[in-house]
This record gives sequence, C-alpha cells and structure tokens, in this order.
Amino acid sequence: MSQPLAYFFDSLYLIKPETSIIGFLVLILLYDLIFKKEKWLPYISLFGLVVTLFLIIEQYGYNKFAFQSSTNFGMMAIDPFGAFFKIIILLSSIIVILFSILSKELDVARDRMGEYYTLIFGMILGMFLMVSASDLILIYIAVELVSLSSFVLAGFLKNDSRSSEASLKYIIFGGVSSGIMLFGISILYGITGTTNLYEMNSLLQNFDSTNILMILTMILIFAGIGYKISAVPFHFWTPDVYEGAPVTITAYLSVASKAAGIVLLIRLIKSTFVSQKDTFGYWEMIPAFDWQGFLIIISILTMTIGNFSALWQSNVKRMLAYSSIAHAGYILAAIAVLSDQGLVGVMVYFIIYLLMNLGAFLIVIVIKNKINSEELEDYDGLGYRMPLVGVAFTIFLISLTGIPPTAGFIGKLYVFIALVDAKMLVLAVIMLLNSVVSLYYYVRILKHLYLNKPKAETTDIELSFSLKLFILVLAVPNIIFGLYFAPILEFVKTSLIILGI
Amino acid sequence: MNLYDFIFYFFAALTIVSAFFVVTTKNIIYAAFNLLLTFFGVAGIYVLLGADFLAIVQLIIYVGGILILMLFGVMLTNKITNVQIKTEASFVIPASIGVGLFAGVLIAILLKTEWRNSPADIPISTLVPIGKLLMEEWAFVFILLGVLLLIALIGAASIARKE
Repeated sequence: MSQPLAYFFDSLYLIKPETSIIGFLVLILLYDLIFKKEKWLPYISLFGLVVTLFLIIEQYGYNKFAFQSSTNFGMMAIDPFGAFFKIIILLSSIIVILFSILSKELDVARDRMGEYYTLIFGMILGMFLMVSASDLILIYIAVELVSLSSFVLAGFLKNDSRSSEASLKYIIFGGVSSGIMLFGISILYGITGTTNLYEMNSLLQNFDSTNILMILTMILIFAGIGYKISAVPFHFWTPDVYEGAPVTITAYLSVASKAAGIVLLIRLIKSTFVSQKDTFGYWEMIPAFDWQGFLIIISILTMTIGNFSALWQSNVKRMLAYSSIAHAGYILAAIAVLSDQGLVGVMVYFIIYLLMNLGAFLIVIVIKNKINSEELEDYDGLGYRMPLVGVAFTIFLISLTGIPPTAGFIGKLYVFIALVDAKMLVLAVIMLLNSVVSLYYYVRILKHLYLNKPKAETTDIELSFSLKLFILVLAVPNIIFGLYFAPILEFVKTSLIILGI
Repeated sequence: MNLYDFIFYFFAALTIVSAFFVVTTKNIIYAAFNLLLTFFGVAGIYVLLGADFLAIVQLIIYVGGILILMLFGVMLTNKITNVQIKTEASFVIPASIGVGLFAGVLIAILLKTEWRNSPADIPISTLVPIGKLLMEEWAFVFILLGVLLLIALIGAASIARKE
C-alpha cells in the first residue's frame, strides 16, 4: 500500500463522528425512500445525533492530525477545542430537531421531511469539517456543504413567497461570497505554495512586515467567513433570510452555523498567523496581516450596526436576526484580543448563547403555533394569556441583554474581562454601550407582552405538558448558569487545547 | 510578441468580449451562445498553461453539460424566447464605484507585487498525477465531494418537486 493511502486508513478512527453523520444521512434517506413513514424520521435523527455525541466524547482527549501528508501536518486537526464546538453544534442540532417536531409551520411540507432531515445532517457534516479542517481545500468543501444544505432549508416552505425569497437571496449572496473566498484561497496558495494552514505558518515566518498581497488575500477569505457569521459588511442577507426561512432553520443558522464560522476563523488565525505564545497566553502574531486591528474594526461595526438596526424592527424574527448580528460582534471582540483568555470568552459565550438564543426562538415558534404571527403588535398582552411563555421569554431576553442574574451576564463578563486584561478599554466601553442600546429593543418586546392591552377580548392559551417541560429545560439553565457557572468554566478550560502552538 | 503571447491575447480577448455580451444582450439564446465562447476562451487559456485536465473538464462539463442543459431549458420552456429579460442597470453609480475600486485594488496589487517567476516547464499530461492524488492523498476529500454531490442532488430534487 502506498504511503498516503496508509495515512488515510490510519486516520479513519479519528473521524468516527463524521462517519457516523454520513451513515445516518444515508440511513434517513433510505428510510424515507423505502418506508415513507415520516413520523419516525426525527427520532432516527435524534438517535443518530446521540450516537455521534458519544463518539465525540469518546475521542475528546485526542490531540493530533488526521490524514497526515508527508510533511507531518494533516488535513484535519482533532483536538479538544474542536470537540467542544462539535458538542455545541450537536446540542443545537438536537434542540432544533425537537423544534421541528413541534413547529406547525412545517406541517405543509410533512411529506418532504425526509429531505429536511437529510439536509440538516448534510449541514452538520459540513460544520464538523469546518470546525476541524486545517487545509484550505477541505475548508472550502466544508463551507460549500453547509451552504448548499442551508440554501435549500431556508427555502423549504416553497409555497411561502417569503421563504423562497429568503432562499434566493441566500444563494446569491452565498455564491458571491464563496467565489470571493475561493479567489482569496487561490492567491494564498500562489503566495505560499501549500494549502495546509500549519505548513503555511512555517512559510510565513519570514514575512517581517505587512504585505499588501497578504492583506488582500485575508480580506477576500474573510468575506467567506464573515458571510457565515454575518459580520458587517457581509451581513445584508441576514435579516431577510432569518425572517423568511422557517423558524427552526433560522434558529439553527443563528447558532450552529455561526459557531462553525467562528471556529474556522479562530483556527485560521491561530494555526496560520501565531508564531508563539507568551506566558500569559497572549499570541505573538506573524506581522503579515494585522488581525487585531482588522477584527476590532469589524467587531465594532458589527455590534453597532446590528444593535441600531434592531431598534426599528417590528417583526420579532427580524429583530432577533439583527440581535444575532450584534452577538457576532461581541464574539469577534473576544477573538480580537488574540489570547487564550479571549478564547475562553468566546467558548463561554457560545454555551450561553446557545441556551438563550435557541430559547428565544423556541418561544417565537410556540407563539407562532398559537397565533400564527411573528409581528410585535400581535404579541400585545400575551404575557397574561400564556404566563409560562411570558416569564420564559423575559428570562431569555434579559439573558440576551446580559443583565445579572442571568447566564447572558456571565457570557458578556468573560468577554469583558479578556478585553480589560488586554487593555483594550475602548472596545470594552463600546461593547458596554452597545449592551445598553440592546436593552431598549429587548425590553420593547416585554412591553408588548405585558403592558400593551390586546386589541380584542381573548382567552388563555393552554400549552401541552411536554412543551412546558421543553421551555423550562431551556429557561432554567439560563438562571442556574447565571448564579453557578463554575462547571461551564471548568469544561471550557479543559477544552482549551488547540493543536499546534 | 511571440506566438504564445499572441494565442494568449486571442483567448483572453475572446473571453472578455463574449462575457461582456452575455451580460448586456437582451436575448437569452444569444446570451447562452456567447457564454459558449466565454467557456471556450477559458478552456484555451487552460491549455496554454499546460493544465490539460482542467481544459478537458471545462469543455466537457461547462460547454458539453451545463450550456446544453441551459439551451434545453430554454427550448422546453414555452415562450421564453420572447420574454424580455430585465437588463437595465440599477444603482449604476454605487455599483461602478464599488467595482472600479475593487478592480483598481486588484490591478495595483498585480503590478506592485513581485511575483515569483520561473521558466515554464515543458507541459506533460497532468491526468495521471491528478488521478493519483485524488485516489491517495486526497481520498478523503474525494469521498466528501461525493457526499456534497448527494446533498446537491437531494436539494435540487426537493426544490423541483411538486408540493
């Protein structure tokens, strides 16, 4: 057997989670094709996700390359950092599949649910690869896998013109930005002569000043990543797609696909541009490109534009879309610190963002099921008609703002600590001011829920027991982790091992 | 100017001029035929660079596959030839500023950078090395491409299916 092929077979045990996802993708497809009983599909999917979760936990401690080449660097980095985000992606997938069982919006397409779950698995596969890829070719294929699946999912309600519009906009923006990214990748390959990020690192060591070609390349590549995490100025698709897509998919895009994009960005910076790490965990960068300055500008723009645009929205889904742009800004601020402490901020933030954002979207789904609307005006007085939903929504929104004693506060706190420790006070203050602005539009929803009188006489709306339980499962941790967050921190700190320097 | 330069400029001009017509023409059939010339020009440049595999793929997939499919689509759709496509430009000024800036940056960088030059090798067929690479070093990526195609197929079926 030739050497590269031997590397291939030697690495197969490292990609068990990915293999399991591909296996269940095919299984769902075949089951749908042969039995045509869409009732069991979500349970098969959930089973597949749980199996994958076990496989990831099993290989949590690994810290090595998969698919090595002759230069000892590999195509994929299997490390605890990647496993951490794979767990986040899996948890959000499990929650979103539970959402899909509940959502009445998807009822019109019940006979196409086989495709729905297959495409979700395609997305998961793509995101897993985005999380651990350390080779430009694999990165591009991963991004395309996520994009292709999510284009179709965003337009899954074909008879709804908003959903089709969302899909079309997503495709056009996605096509352009991945084209731009590919152009950047090709130039980067032209400069370095390799597609492996770690090999690039050793080749870039002899760049002693910023290089104009490098700046162009990185901005082009960032266009592709920025589109995935909806960073300004690549965010234009976000509000329309989030508003038009089915709520389940909106929730999924806002958490999982964003997490994958962020990890891709971190890995790109960490494995390509860091020359060494000092004792406090700050990264010493190769001066080929000023990542810190670039990220600070993008982060300030992203959080400010996200928050200020959200102020005027009357559709709750659209408002949450802008709010998710703003949250991407906070996370980018934490990355801009370029230190291990910044990464702790990012990881803590993501666990909590998963809980609070998916919680908020669950409430949107529940309300949409009952009153078939996402307009803020129709939320008037709902807090009294659905007490549990009102209280839970309050918790999620307060948490999204970042006020104690909710978990959102802890997430912001760690980002803030990292910024202050790195003496990036201006950015910290801007982030604080942005949180104040965001309070206005989050509380505006509460005003509609509790203070505005409903237009017509209404009765109370009953929820089923399982739904109540589900809401509580998402809402209670938002309080618990606000008061007792040591386990999160522990988990984050043990996961903070990135392959390489 | 030697023969190679001449051939390069010929194909480059062919690509750019036909691409221009693709965007500006109002008739969808003319656009499709101009696209054929664009693809052909790009294939010519690939041949000139010694990338024989890419050139063949370009011809088979783009000219032979996608373009023919497009023409079939036009043929099988009723009355599409008479439909006036909306080609009037909107947002001319912002678009030209944006595109102009981007082009300026690209050209400036193209001229400013010291590109590494090396004399061209005598082109040998790349077919066998590419096949070997795909089956050995990039076997994983090759398998993933299969999954990617499966996803694309399912997505297309899902979009095209009757509700």
